[in-house]
Parts: sequence; structure tokens; C-alpha cells
Amino acid sequence: MPSAIETTSAVPGANLIDPSVLARIGNLELLARSVVDGFINGLHRAPHLGSSTDFAEHRMYMPGDDIRRVDWRLYARTDKYFIKQYEADTNTNFSVVLDVSRSMRYGASVDTGRISKLEYGAFLAACLTYFSNLQRDRVGMVTIEKDIVDYIPSSSKHLRVVLQALDRALKEGKDASAVDAKKGLVAAPTLAPPLRKLSEIYRRRSMIVVISDLYEEPDAVADAVGNLRGRGNDIMVFHLLDPTELEFPFADSSNFIDLETGEKMPVIPEYLRKQYREVVKEHVASLGKLLRDQRIDYALFDTSRPLDGALFAYLAARERLRRVR
Amino acid sequence: MNFLTPAFLAGLAALAIPVIIHLINREKRVVVQFPSLMFLHKIPYRSIRRQKLRHLLLLLLRCLALFLFVAAFARPWFERSKHAGAGSSGAREVVILVDRSYSMGYGDRWQKALDKAREVVRAVSANDRATIVFFANEPSAATDPTADRARLENALKVAKLSSEGTRYAPAIKLASDIVAGSNLPRKDIVLISDFQKAGWAKREELSLPTGVELHPVDVSGKPGSDAAVIGITTDRTRDTTRARVVVTARIANLGPTPRTLDAVLDLGGRAVESKRVTVAASAAEQVRFMGVAVPSAATRGVVRITKDSLDADDSFFFTVAPDEAVSVLVIEPSSARPNQSLYLRTALSIGDKPRFRVDVLTPESMRSADLDRRSLIILNESAPPGGVIGTRMREVITAGAGLLVVPGEQNIDRWPAEWRALMPVTAGSVVDRSRDLGAAIGGVDYANPIFEVFSAPRSGDFSSARVFRYRSLRVQGDSGVIAKFDDGAPAMVQRAWGSGRIVVWATSMDATWTDLPVQTVFVPFVHQLGRRVGRYADSRQWFTAGDVLDLTRHAELTSPLIGAGPKAAGDSGQLVLEAPSGEKTRLSVTGTNHLATLRERGLYELRGENTPIGAGRPLAVNVDPAEADLTHLDPAELVAAASANAAARQAVEATTAPPEQQEGRQTVWWYLLLGALFLMAIETVLSNRLSRATS
Repeated sequence: MPSAIETTSAVPGANLIDPSVLARIGNLELLARSVVDGFINGLHRAPHLGSSTDFAEHRMYMPGDDIRRVDWRLYARTDKYFIKQYEADTNTNFSVVLDVSRSMRYGASVDTGRISKLEYGAFLAACLTYFSNLQRDRVGMVTIEKDIVDYIPSSSKHLRVVLQALDRALKEGKDASAVDAKKGLVAAPTLAPPLRKLSEIYRRRSMIVVISDLYEEPDAVADAVGNLRGRGNDIMVFHLLDPTELEFPFADSSNFIDLETGEKMPVIPEYLRKQYREVVKEHVASLGKLLRDQRIDYALFDTSRPLDGALFAYLAARERLRRVR
Repeated sequence: MNFLTPAFLAGLAALAIPVIIHLINREKRVVVQFPSLMFLHKIPYRSIRRQKLRHLLLLLLRCLALFLFVAAFARPWFERSKHAGAGSSGAREVVILVDRSYSMGYGDRWQKALDKAREVVRAVSANDRATIVFFANEPSAATDPTADRARLENALKVAKLSSEGTRYAPAIKLASDIVAGSNLPRKDIVLISDFQKAGWAKREELSLPTGVELHPVDVSGKPGSDAAVIGITTDRTRDTTRARVVVTARIANLGPTPRTLDAVLDLGGRAVESKRVTVAASAAEQVRFMGVAVPSAATRGVVRITKDSLDADDSFFFTVAPDEAVSVLVIEPSSARPNQSLYLRTALSIGDKPRFRVDVLTPESMRSADLDRRSLIILNESAPPGGVIGTRMREVITAGAGLLVVPGEQNIDRWPAEWRALMPVTAGSVVDRSRDLGAAIGGVDYANPIFEVFSAPRSGDFSSARVFRYRSLRVQGDSGVIAKFDDGAPAMVQRAWGSGRIVVWATSMDATWTDLPVQTVFVPFVHQLGRRVGRYADSRQWFTAGDVLDLTRHAELTSPLIGAGPKAAGDSGQLVLEAPSGEKTRLSVTGTNHLATLRERGLYELRGENTPIGAGRPLAVNVDPAEADLTHLDPAELVAAASANAAARQAVEATTAPPEQQEGRQTVWWYLLLGALFLMAIETVLSNRLSRATS
């Protein structure tokens, strides 16, 4: 990871969660459990760990409420029936928006053992969903490309559905990883249409994690995500880039083919590397600034780095959210 | 292009190496798939494409340099193309040769020639250039190379027939020179003529530059038939009373049928006699007219025959001179030895071609009038006259008369300074060679006109003459020794003085110092002295159109005018030559303008500036009788000869020089090597810049 690009710092002890190692685990649930359990164990020393039994507030007893939840002590003092509500009960909607476009399929290499951005994103989504599910949040997921590909509404029972959907997305991604040159040039997919549609779908405040490589102009990305933010959702944008996209380490002059559009371009990497890095750096900086201005969390992830960074960012956001409440 | 060592061309296979590398690199490019080219698009275009182009440029430079190296080692040379520079299309350089010899006056040939020339001019486009050249004996460009058709047509409008004959070779040579200097792709020569055989009778070499085409345009029409007076002869007879001249004309019938013609002799503007003569086909007849008294002055004469289609040769002009003798004045001292001038006078008096009229005088008895019209003055062991007569005598010599000085006992060094200045020598003592049986004339300059006739074997032997005494001569200035004694001492020295000539003879002209006068060679020797020192030229009864009149060689024409005194010829000594057309040319016997070309047929008049018109010396000029022969020449023969020479020259150019020599002459390899080094230098600079940009 180049020093120029800021990422969430890894938590000590969690570096063992190497994506390339995780890739060998075929079951996403097992994978998510491995990551999240290890991560939680690592974070037990942290003072901000939330508890699902923490008291949140009282409310008046309504017919039909479980009488076991009546606060008898308060009744003794006030002679009124109050129901005692706990933190764990304020479960929120959690949804992952995963970009499954062709560009996300980039990065898989058998030689180096690296995984694609899509796989990394899927692992991340699985882990976050699993973790959220542990927190008794309602979990859902949306896969997008040009449009919404797969939509799983948030529900406390949808963990397995989400994981199956992720598994399916990965399988489809592997099958169609190669660009069909005969198709000719096509327009690159943009985030705005599917996210605008999502903003209509999400009627309840949700915590939404957008996982994408964000190959769009920062303004367009900010506008598209801003739509969701405008509805009161908490948004976290996880920007996934392969190390080669960050470093541009190619040596030989080559014809570069755009995985999204099929466009070809003759490139002599040695002459462009420096300028390319600067352009990427500007892009990331611009994205971070625009999104943070909208109070949207933004983090760049190198797909060769462990998943703990993403989890830490998630939990930090949850903590911030809890404090605000 | 040929190569002297083509085996080196195998090195061109090395060119494949960078290309193969390039292709291999191209193959690699196909495999890289990238998520998005969005960031690459943001990088300025030049960083991608132009870098690629620069690499391609480097590749090209390297390949080209390698190619040039290999080509240089193969030592290329160019074989000049047969028709290099010639093209089948494009602008033309046209030279229109128009024959204006007098034979073109036959029938309507001249008009047809002008019409054809106008046709060619009309075909000249704005990009072409054309030159009109009229030719007869000599070609003359009427215009510069131009595309201005108005100028060309104007030149044709003012063109006139000449009186000269035809010569094709000089005309084609001039046209070749004109087209050879042109940079236009097509070069044509259009030859418009009646194609007389006489115009190429000598079969002169015709050569065309490579790529030039000769287009003949024949305007001769049907075969011509002509009769002409092709010459006259005059015989002088002398009866008891006076000399008579008999004119004989030679008349030729050049047609295929016999013709009966009337021949008329006019002399001095008066018809002398008319005769009818029948001339067979392709034959000639002589017509002898009756003798007439030799006129007292040069008289115009003309023989005319019945006019036909070509009238330029139906008249023949000539002049009859009154007396053609060379006037010689021998000056001997009053105390001369008996018969001192006997041998000299006798030898001269027996001359008939030319005749010599000899007068022997002493300086004391001379009058100024005795010097008039003298061609030769001989100082036979006499001092020159002094005073007015001496001055007049120097003027006569300056004007063209000859002076033969025989010093003998006279010591030239004691003569007046004005005479010493004339002399080509200073005289020394008298050398007596009687003790050794006399000296011989050991060396003679046979190139000199005086001795030229003795150059052939058995044409005169000077070595048999014994010279017992002679005066030693010291040559001065630009004088030349034309005869030497056996001891190397000058025997005869000459120099030019004005238009005249001064010759000094070291021994005597009688038998006292030498026995030459009794040798057989003496009479022709004296005749040669009289003829050459006296500047005698055969009296020309007529000239041919195109001849050049050199006044310095025709004393018989100028001496009557100059001999009449400077005042008669004008104060400046200038003469005027008036052509039959009235055109006047100023000439001078002594100056640089002593030459005139006689181009017009008819009677010229040469006179002094102040001489009344008609009182001068007439000169007759006739057309070239060879031109009267209208025998036709096949134009194809002329074209073939010119083209064959061109082709032969090309073949010689191609075959005579071996490839090594041609390659050595061209040294193309040197330029290729320089080019390769230059390219490598550029490649070095470019690749260094690219490397710096990369790093």
C-alpha cells in the first residue's frame, strides 16, 4: 500500500485475516465467522464494545406487551406500567450494496494467490453482514451493475440468503471474468441509476455499506451516494482497488483493454506510471473530500491487505452512531 | 540502380531484427485487461500516443540507417536512362527551324514554310517554350525561348528569304544547344525545309541530345525544275590596239526535260549580246559572248537567262576590273651599280598572274604622284626619300603597301629616325663569306606565305644558292625571322606596319653578293615577294552570298580608293560598303572593322566616305550555285542520321565506362554513408531525450 493513500490502520492481532488465506474457505458463513470471531476476540479489550442487554429507555405498557418486560420497580414507585427497553432491541437495517460490474472482477491471480476485487468485496460484505447479524441488526444486500442485479431486503433472518446471494454473485463473476471482445464497445455502468432506485426502496433508515471500485468521476459518485444519504441513511463507502490499480507496475508496452467498455488503448507503462499514480491519488483524495463533506464515511482498501481494516471502520462507525443516539 | 557488390545486400536481413522485436512486443499488448481506462484517459494524449510514435520514429531511423549502411557497402551506381529527362507529357521546349535559303523561293515553298511554322506556334501552350530559328548557311535565332505566341508570329511576319545556300548541320546544332539548356520535360525540334540534298552534301555529323525528337516538315511539294547561271569566266586577250575581255557563262538545266533559254550579257548597264541556247536535261552548256574592250574602270556585269520558278539564280553578277597588274616601284640610288635592278625588274616583268608593272626611280627623281596606287616599293640599296615624298611614302606603306628593303651597302642605322622606327632590324656590319665558298640559306619558314609555295618537294631549292656577302641584321621588337643563313644569321626579317608589311633582305638582289639571281628559284621567289609583300589578292570577279569580305586581303579593291589619296577616302580613311538593298556598312582597311559579310545577292559598292555614289568599286555577289540543285533529300534519312548518332552516343556512354568506373565517378556510397551517420546522430539525440524523459 503506498503511503500516499490513507487507509484505516490495521488493528494489531488481526493481520492474520489475510484475504488470500480466506479465499481458500469455500463457505462464506464459515469465512465470516472466522473473521468476525477472531476480530471480536481481538477487540475485547476495547472499551466501546456495545452490549445488547444495555438499557436504552422506558415506554408505556401497551396491551399485548410481554408482561415479563414490565419494570416492576418503576411500577412500585410510580404505580404505572412501563416497559423496559434495552439497546439490543433498537436493531437497525443493515444493507450491503455490492458492485458486481466487470471491473470488480479484476485482480484474481492464480500465480500470486491474489483475489479479485469482487471476491474481496464479497468477503467483506459477508463479514459485515455476519457481524451485523450478530448485533441483531436486520441484514440485507443489493448487488448492482448497470442496474440492481439482486435485491435482498433487510431482515434478521436474511443472513443465509445474503450469503447465498454473495456466493452466487461470485460464481457468476468467475464465469464471466473475460471480456468478450466481439461485443465491441459498451458504455461503462454508473452508480447513480441503481442507487437512485435504492433510495426509493429503502423506506427505513438503514446503515448502508457501498462496496465498489468507484470508476466514476468523484462528483458523480458523491451525487449518487448523496441520494441515499439524503434519505437519512448512514452510508459507508468502501473503495476497493487492486494493488496493480494503485501501483501500475506493468513493464511492457501493451494494449490495455477496458473491462467495462472493451475499449483498447496502446500504452507504454514506464512512461505513464508516475502520471497514473498522481491521477489515482487525486481521484481518491477528491472522493474522500466530497464524501466526507456529506458526512459519508469513505475508506480505500487495497485488496491485498487483511479485512480487519474494513471491520474496524465499520465498528468505529457503529460506535459513532451509538454515541449520537 | 545497380550494385557493384550486391552480396552486401544480404545484410538487409538485419532489418528484420527490430521489426521482429516490434512484432513480439505487439503480441504482448493484446493480453492486458484493465478494470477501467478512466485514469489513463486523464493522462495527456502525447504521453501515450506520441511516445509510441517516437518509438516508431526511432525504429524507422535505425532501420533506415542500417539500410543506408548496407546500401553503401553494396556500392550502388546509376545507369543513365536512355531518355533521361524525356517525357511523353508535360511542357515542351520547341525549336522551330525555318529554312530561308534562296531555294525556298521556288514556287510557294516559302509561304508554305511560314504557314507550317505558324501551325506549330499555335500549338504552343502557355507552359511550353518555343524558339524560332531561321537558317541558311548559318542559323540565326529570331526569338528567345518564349511562350509568347505574338512574338513568335511577329518574327515569322518579318522574316525574309536570304540569298544563301542551305546547311542543316549548323542549324540542328544550334537547335540542340537551345533544347539542351532547357529544363522542360519534352524537347522537340521542328525542321521546316524543302530538304535539298545540297544542304547535307558533305554529310556533316548531326547529333541530337538525348531525349530530343526531330520532326521534319517537308514543304518541297512536287519535284522542282530549275535552270541557273552557275558561273562565268573572263578571258583577256590583247590585240594590237587594246585589251579585250571575253565572257563565258555556264548555264545548267537541273530539270528533267531539255530547255531552250535566252542568255543576255549586260556590261556596264548595256546589253552586249543575247544568245539562245538549248540545254539538255540535267546538263550544262557554256555560252561564250563576244569580246569587249576592257573598260577603264571596274565595271558591273551580269548574265541573265529566261526567268523560271526560282529567279534568284537566273542572273549572275560579276565585275570586270580594268587592270590587275601589281604596281611595283623600285628605288635605287643615283650612284647605283650598272644593272643593279636588272634581275629584279626582269623577273617581275615576266610575271603574268599577277602581272607586275615595274618602275625604277631614284630618290631624287621621285615625285609624290609616283607613289600613287603602288602595291610594292623596293628600296634597292637606296636610302629612303626624305621630305614630303618620304612622308607620303610612309603613309602609303601604312595604308597597305609593302616595302622591301635591300640594305646592301646602305647602313640603316644612319637613316632618319622616322625611317629607323619603321625598320624591323638594325643593321650591323657586312659579313663576307667568300672565303668559305659563301653561305647558304639554311633555314626557311615555309609556313610564311612568301615561302609557302616552296614547301613541297622539288618546288624550289634555296640551298643551292651561294651568298658571299650579307649584312648582319639585329632583329627588333615584334619582328620575325622568316629565313636564315647557315650560320644562323637572319636572311629575311619581316614586320607589319599599319596595314602594310616591311621586309628586309640581308643580301643583294643582283649577282654581286650572291648567285641567287642566277638560280632557277629566283624568279618565283621574286614573284612571291611581289605578290605577298605587295599584298596582292586575286581580283574577285564575284563573291558568293555568305562570304566574308576582308578588306585587308583585297588590296585590289581598296588600293584604287586609298591610292586616290586620304582625302578621297575621307579624313579618317573610312570606307562605306553599300548593299544592293541600300544598307550601308562602315569599314576600315586599318581598323578592326575590316570585315563584312556579304549576304545579299546583287551588286555592292565599296567607296570612300566622300566618294560620289556610283563612283566606287563594285562588288558582285551571287547565290551559291549548289543551291540551284533542287534534288530532294529524304527527311527520314536526316532524322535517322541525327537519331542514330544520338543512339550511338548513348550506347557508347552506356558501354564504354565499366561499372567500376561509373561507380567510382558517381560515389553514391559516400553520400549513403554520410546519410547513415547523420541518421545515427539524430537517433542518438532522440533516444537520449526519450531516456531522460522516461527516467
